[in-house]
Amino acid sequence: MAEERQKLLDEEGGISSSDPRNESGPVKPMSALCDPRQLLHRIFVLLFMCFLGFGSYFCYDNPAALQTQVIQISETKQCVVFGVLSALTRNWLIRTSIGHEAQHIHVHAALCLVLLAQRGALFPGGLPARQGLWNQVIVAVGALLDLFWLMEIGRFVFGIGGESLAVAQNTYAVNWFKGKELNLVFGLQLSMARLGSTVNMNIMGSVYNRVADLVGLTGHTTLGVSLMIAGATCIFSLVCALVLGYLDKRAERILNKEQGGTGEVIKLTDVKDFPFPLWLIFIICVGYYVAIFPFIGLGQVFFIEKFNFSPAEARAINSIVYIISAPASPVLGFMVDRIGKNVIWVLCAVVTTLIAHMMLAFTFWNPWIAMSLLGLSYSLLACALWPMVAFVVPEHQLGTAYGFMQSIQNLGLALISMAAGSILDNKGYLFLEVFFSACVCLALIAVVMLYFVDCLRGGDLNLSASARAKLLKCSNSDSE
Amino acid sequence: MAADIMYTIHFYVLFVLSTLRCSSSFIGNGENYRRNLSLELNPGLNSLLTPLPPGVGLLHVRALGKNNTLHYLLCSQGAPALLLVHTNSTSSKVKVDWPAFLVQNTTGSLKLTPESSVLYSNALVFTRLWEYDDVNDTAVPEHLPPSSFFQPYELQNFTWDDLNKTLDPMAHTALLCGRGASESFSNGSLCLKFSAFDVEGRDQGWPSLLHNANSSQLRVVLDGVVPRSNRSRFSLELQVVGGTQAMSRVDVLQSIDDEYTPSIFKVSQWVSSPVNSTSPVLGYAQWKPVAYRRPSPLFEDATPCRHSTPVPVAQLPPSGLVRAYFGGERQTTGLNMTFSITGDPFYNTTNYLSWTVLVGLGSPPVDSFSPLVLVIMAVGLGTPMLIILLGGVCVCVRKNRPQPQVYEPIN
Repeated sequence: MAEERQKLLDEEGGISSSDPRNESGPVKPMSALCDPRQLLHRIFVLLFMCFLGFGSYFCYDNPAALQTQVIQISETKQCVVFGVLSALTRNWLIRTSIGHEAQHIHVHAALCLVLLAQRGALFPGGLPARQGLWNQVIVAVGALLDLFWLMEIGRFVFGIGGESLAVAQNTYAVNWFKGKELNLVFGLQLSMARLGSTVNMNIMGSVYNRVADLVGLTGHTTLGVSLMIAGATCIFSLVCALVLGYLDKRAERILNKEQGGTGEVIKLTDVKDFPFPLWLIFIICVGYYVAIFPFIGLGQVFFIEKFNFSPAEARAINSIVYIISAPASPVLGFMVDRIGKNVIWVLCAVVTTLIAHMMLAFTFWNPWIAMSLLGLSYSLLACALWPMVAFVVPEHQLGTAYGFMQSIQNLGLALISMAAGSILDNKGYLFLEVFFSACVCLALIAVVMLYFVDCLRGGDLNLSASARAKLLKCSNSDSE
Repeated sequence: MAADIMYTIHFYVLFVLSTLRCSSSFIGNGENYRRNLSLELNPGLNSLLTPLPPGVGLLHVRALGKNNTLHYLLCSQGAPALLLVHTNSTSSKVKVDWPAFLVQNTTGSLKLTPESSVLYSNALVFTRLWEYDDVNDTAVPEHLPPSSFFQPYELQNFTWDDLNKTLDPMAHTALLCGRGASESFSNGSLCLKFSAFDVEGRDQGWPSLLHNANSSQLRVVLDGVVPRSNRSRFSLELQVVGGTQAMSRVDVLQSIDDEYTPSIFKVSQWVSSPVNSTSPVLGYAQWKPVAYRRPSPLFEDATPCRHSTPVPVAQLPPSGLVRAYFGGERQTTGLNMTFSITGDPFYNTTNYLSWTVLVGLGSPPVDSFSPLVLVIMAVGLGTPMLIILLGGVCVCVRKNRPQPQVYEPIN
């Protein structure tokens, strides 16, 4: 009797201890690297995620690095290039609709779309132009054949692909790292993106010159060949995408995740159901980034004129923001992970940026200080703001939320880039800085409102890390 | 509690209002006095008795203040000159002995009566226009060999147009245009646009220098001149003859505000002040170190300009007005304004160059922020603070309110 009870107990214990969801067979002991539940495997996945972003941003910034050469072959004015390229690559409508597809199940659909398009490169003239490698090829071909409109189409297509890649990347990150090292991961992704941009800025110029030496003349041929070479990084990111796709599928199979079975339908009209704190987060995102990227775009001449820098120094100080954010983002992300209280960190970042802009506008103090502050606060904001979306929005709407956020951020950037150019032409740099400060003030207003709305509604955006871990444990035990 | 909230809001509103009021007075309404301007051409000339040679004219602008007068005299005899005289009486007049004035060798043929009321006088003369061949595109003529310089255009030898035709008494402006004898000026001219001001304000076109009632503005325009080489650049020579003090130094001030001259953050002031630097400035010529390559310039049509250090000049400038008024031994200082810097387009890209200088009495005007900038900053910084106040109050109120019991006791 006692043995029977013991055997029953053992069996019960055995049933509950063995993975009830693994119906395919007994659990194999896996090395830490291959087990999706272990930290080491997640780091392995993180590596591929980062390199995916690197390749994408490397190609994205190519026209900026080769700006003078593009202007020479297109004979358009600087602000037009700036505005047109930005506006065309940011087709927000398309990105929103792809965003809502990029759910953690359907993230595969987005990746497959990208992979399909990239495979299309092997069938010249066959498949319609899509994203990824193929669009870089389009841009390069456009340069080779001296057809500026073809380059613009390529950039447009890149906008479709590149940004949906960003959305898929964000959703992926939340999928793998929510509740664990999410802030750190966002920080690292930002680092790699910036690293891609910086590397691009620094080496594309010399690549172009080398090709010019080889080919023997400057102009559209050389530009085309340079862009083709840059396209090689797209192949690299394609490889990373394939590996990521495989790893994700495998993890899904091993852990047999049930998220797909919530039964909730994914619709585009989810947008109108977004909670009010999420709209505030959108406003913070727009208000903040429009004061960073257009400023860096127009900043070189500002430093030459106002602070009497040489062109080389001005270029250096302009890139200090990205150079600082590359190492600082993971560190700050780690800090925000440990401490929590995301809203307070966002507030700090916005206030610091406001101080930096006002320093640049109203004083002649050494601009290295202001630009370093800008770099630090830019990293801090990226680490603290983007994960907040995951806390506010239910999981099945996450992709839509990220897609929408990227959309309006890029729409804002496109519009403000053009506005900044015309403000500068008519009213000078002080007014431009005041304008950017006003945008940061808008973000500040949104942060302050977010803090109070969250406080008054008893929300959980501003929890410390330990409180959030407790909350997660409670909700997990509740669901079991 | 409510009283606390009301007090905080009241304080904040008062703070904002007082800031705006202070800022509006800082904008410069402090110097809000006016002068009455009257223009006259060739004062005291009987044209039947002494016919004027062609191209000679004397413009007299009288700016009447409360108890003092400012006289501007613009003359095209010899090198064009602008004479500024400050008297402490409201009834001072200009007396010209025309026959002696036209002969150009008599001191005292132009007088201001009563002579004892003259407090300060100063003349700005445009003497030469230098043109040089900038082979290496360095835009530093001091480092070029003399062979790069073409024969300078002596402005005393130019023929000037009739001032009568270009006088505008309502706007208090006059345009003095002249051309040299050489072929380069067959279709072009060097024009001096003179504007006198009766009240504080700002010009419309760039560089939009801030002026007040104690100042007048000269815009030098080089239009349509055929350059003598493909890489020509120009340099303008200016001389100043002082009354008691020479204008001995040029101060270059840094200014945060470039709203009115985008991307120019400096102001240059050529001042006459006693050696003791604590004494106030007596008179000035102020300019922004920028010249424009088009009549309606865009951002990219701006070209920086440099000045050389003022040096004493041995003799008086070759201007009839200066010789007639000052005569004798007076301190003359001169400098060169060089236009463009390395890498900028040469003169032959647009065949147009304009530079503006403000000449006046007392301290040079100081630029300040426009009201729009101040309002934007006030609203942008004030609104978050207001929200923080309100939010803090709401949170405190919410915390202090007794929490309703969730569960009612059974008994």
